[in-house]
Amino acid sequence: MEFMAQANKKFGVRSLLVQGLTFLSVLTSAFMIWKGLSLFTNSESPVVVVLSGSMEPVYYRGDILFLHNGYSPIEIGEVVVYKVKEKAIPIVHRVLKVHNDNTSGKQFLLTKGDHNDETDDRGIYNPGQKWISRDDIIGRVKGFVPYAGMGTIWMNDYPQLKMILLGTLCVLSLFSNE
Amino acid sequence: MNNFLQRLSGITSFAMSTLMVLVVLISLTTPFLPSNPTHAVQLHNVQTTTGRMMDPYDKTSRTAEYARLTFDVDADLSSMFNWNTKLLFTYITVDYQSSNGFNRVVVWDRIVRGKRQAKLKLRKHHNKYLLRNFAQTFEGVEGANLTLIVNPVPYLGVMYDKTMSSIPFSIPRALKAGGKK
Repeated sequence: MEFMAQANKKFGVRSLLVQGLTFLSVLTSAFMIWKGLSLFTNSESPVVVVLSGSMEPVYYRGDILFLHNGYSPIEIGEVVVYKVKEKAIPIVHRVLKVHNDNTSGKQFLLTKGDHNDETDDRGIYNPGQKWISRDDIIGRVKGFVPYAGMGTIWMNDYPQLKMILLGTLCVLSLFSNE
Repeated sequence: MNNFLQRLSGITSFAMSTLMVLVVLISLTTPFLPSNPTHAVQLHNVQTTTGRMMDPYDKTSRTAEYARLTFDVDADLSSMFNWNTKLLFTYITVDYQSSNGFNRVVVWDRIVRGKRQAKLKLRKHHNKYLLRNFAQTFEGVEGANLTLIVNPVPYLGVMYDKTMSSIPFSIPRALKAGGKK
């Protein structure tokens, strides 16, 4: 126990550990809030950034969308975020057609981007797929903030920015205790 | 509190909190701004034919029944433009009950960008999007309604729909050759 007391005096090991613990608890709180929001909205990603221009002039690249999925059936005219099965990219488009089947409880949905003149999304569904279903929907857009996601767009378009940002953060944290 | 970085971080965190409060206030108050849009929809004609239309993604489209609507719209939506209105997404839907359940499709839409375009005066327009049933024919389809809806898209805030006029109508079956249905 003696050497530990000496190490604490010399290197401030305890204060370093406390700093590390505070940092970890901030990280985990953020993670808990994110996952809690996912549970509340029943959405795997309740906040998304618009990546394509297919909904212009309604939504532009870099807008942040707040989604709520819930469990109720999708209604006509809602702007939804969905993923085509086995494709990883979420797409933000408006619901053009809703057909309900009471026997199976399923919905047959067709979507279309507001900017895609008279061309619905069948061209981007899987080959032979004419409709998407309720469980392809990640969430409906309830609210949005423009431009707030431009950082994500820049990071995706210019990966060097990510490196520069990480580098500056490291340098700053090294010099912050002076 | 003299360090440049400390001042910068103080200003930034204050700016962020102020912005967030503003975003919440704007989002909550915009839907309650008053507006009095006038709207009227009139349906002239519904013609159902068996499709010659070829949807490249739908092989059943060649033999399906398609309904063609002829309608008028008279609406003045300019009062729906407030300081936080980016555009109005106006659309017309047809909803009906089929043997499977409830169906609703968009048959026409238009993006209204400003007050000048907000005075809609459509005469004898047709549906932009082909109107067909989920099944091949309109058999068992009843209780159709033609509804005009407006989605005011704000610059920042909450998305919602406002239903305008709705008129009931019925979708006839297509006449087969020889006049039999």
